[in-house]
Amino acid sequence: MNAFTGTGIPAAPADPARAATDRGGLTHQALLYRSDRDFAAAAVPFLRDGRLAGDVLVVIASAAARCLLREQLGAADAARIEFIDRAEWFRGPMQALASYHDRARGDWWPRGRLRLLAEPVWTGRTPLETCEWKRHEAVLNVVFAGTPTALMCAYDATALPGHVLFDAARTHPELVDGDGVRQSGSFTDPAAFYAECNGRPLPRPPDTAARRGFAGGELPGLRSFLMVEAARHGLARDRTLPFVLAANEVATHVIRHGGGEGVLWVWAEDGELVCDVDDPKGELEDRFLGYAPPRSDRSGDGAMWAVRRLCHIVEIRSGAGGSSIRLHQRLGDDG
Amino acid sequence: MTPERIALTPVGEMRFGHHLCLTYDSEEERHAVLTAYVRDGLRAGHKVVYLADGESSEAVLDRLAGAAGRDGPELRAGAEAGHLVIRPIAEAFMASGRFDPDDTVALLGTEMEVALLQDYAGVRFAGEASFSVRGWPGTDRFAEFEQSCQRAFQAPGSRAMALCQYDRRWFGPEQLRILEACHDGRVRPDDLYADGVLTITPIFGPPGLRLTGAVDESTLPGLLDVLRAEATRAGHYCLDLSGLEFCDLEGLRALIGAGGQGAGLERQVILRGVPAFLELMMKIAGWDSAPGVYLEGAHR
Repeated sequence: MNAFTGTGIPAAPADPARAATDRGGLTHQALLYRSDRDFAAAAVPFLRDGRLAGDVLVVIASAAARCLLREQLGAADAARIEFIDRAEWFRGPMQALASYHDRARGDWWPRGRLRLLAEPVWTGRTPLETCEWKRHEAVLNVVFAGTPTALMCAYDATALPGHVLFDAARTHPELVDGDGVRQSGSFTDPAAFYAECNGRPLPRPPDTAARRGFAGGELPGLRSFLMVEAARHGLARDRTLPFVLAANEVATHVIRHGGGEGVLWVWAEDGELVCDVDDPKGELEDRFLGYAPPRSDRSGDGAMWAVRRLCHIVEIRSGAGGSSIRLHQRLGDDG
Repeated sequence: MTPERIALTPVGEMRFGHHLCLTYDSEEERHAVLTAYVRDGLRAGHKVVYLADGESSEAVLDRLAGAAGRDGPELRAGAEAGHLVIRPIAEAFMASGRFDPDDTVALLGTEMEVALLQDYAGVRFAGEASFSVRGWPGTDRFAEFEQSCQRAFQAPGSRAMALCQYDRRWFGPEQLRILEACHDGRVRPDDLYADGVLTITPIFGPPGLRLTGAVDESTLPGLLDVLRAEATRAGHYCLDLSGLEFCDLEGLRALIGAGGQGAGLERQVILRGVPAFLELMMKIAGWDSAPGVYLEGAHR
């Protein structure tokens, strides 16, 4: 059975001998299922094999999927698994990535090879969020390359939109379905996929956006301006300072490493506070920029990691006409 | 006693007419103020009269010059030229065998007039109040004396200022409160850095720095200069961040790196009063477990 019937994705021939979960480095598979039975038929052996191999087992899924797995695995196997609620984990692509970093370094990898079954959330996402969650899947191939990790991401082929399934095949090197494991014929170089995500130009700030120029020595005033705008648009207090910290880091980058002076725009749109930091003279190379955690011994490193962590979503565009970084912070209560 | 109610004047901002107390817990704190007071006076063409308690003038000069660091030779040259005069307080204040507040205030007035005749711009007094607890005759009227001084120094056209040293270890809190009330307030060490955005002030118990305001792209060079200058100190070091309203990632890196700047000894940096936003940044950057840094749990 091929979950991509009708999507036109070419599939490489199945090659169970290359079942990647046995290899040492990262494996990243998309499990495309059409029924609970399909899901269990792939997920249960994935976890059972992991138990036999002594792997660290983690499941990040919906309540229904967690319940199904407990049933199918039995109490003894299920007790070996750390179950995490997916709504908690997949709040934002960067929050999820940071959580992977923290937990994997902190307590998963130190105990052995990590075998993680994830069921990402695709419903209720805005087009931008959907785009960034797809990018997230591509980025995982790079940031966890070489780590002792087997990731299996479950996709409901009967419910999810075609473009989500289409891009799942482009961001996962291997596909798993009722027929077994095979290489994804449409897997795309993560850097190319990443660049594609940056392909859409940012819409111009609306006419109602507040504007302020800045240069060296002017950041105290810029921060006051941001605090006032954040309050005016009703940004929660506990999200205001992170927002100001993020915008300040980007502006600092423009002053220190970019064109030296820039322009900042702030406005509210679709339940978000949005801030553009434009550097008319400086270009910015965005190759997975800000997706690797900073190292304390490298100055200047990691500012964009912090910026991404402090915001909901960060978009970067750069070209001959300078660079633009757009920060999104949610105005509502939903994390 | 609420410390907030007492005015705190940086020693570098002392003017004629000021009568301030230097209440100190440690010799480091005392000399940070005292040496700046003497040095500023010499540079401004003031006569500096130091009234010492139970120490020879040579010993006082050695102590001051030693604590003044690179300003030490300047202090010695001032003493050599007679601009800095060190006298035993007992000799000056107890000449009649009895401490008389009115006579003593008059004596200080005469000292000022003499200084003006000698073409000094004015006179700076620095007195050690510890003699007043020796129980010598008349010293029970010491608070009265301080009050009279306060009136005399504040008189119109006054060309004198005074700094009264109170070793907190020798005065009870209530007694100190009464004596402090006889002054224009307390003196504090000068800021090591202040530009309207960031202020860095030395602290002494424990030794370290208090940061107030914001560390950003414009104030980071100032912070790095101060940290570099302080790096010569060995041992534990406290950075009081409770007054820090903003700090960017590079600023945080500098604060955390403060421990590694010492030339020889590895030392512990204690971060006190870390604001919640900074703790978040440390966690994000993965620096909350950096070696040589200890976060005091005050603001959790």
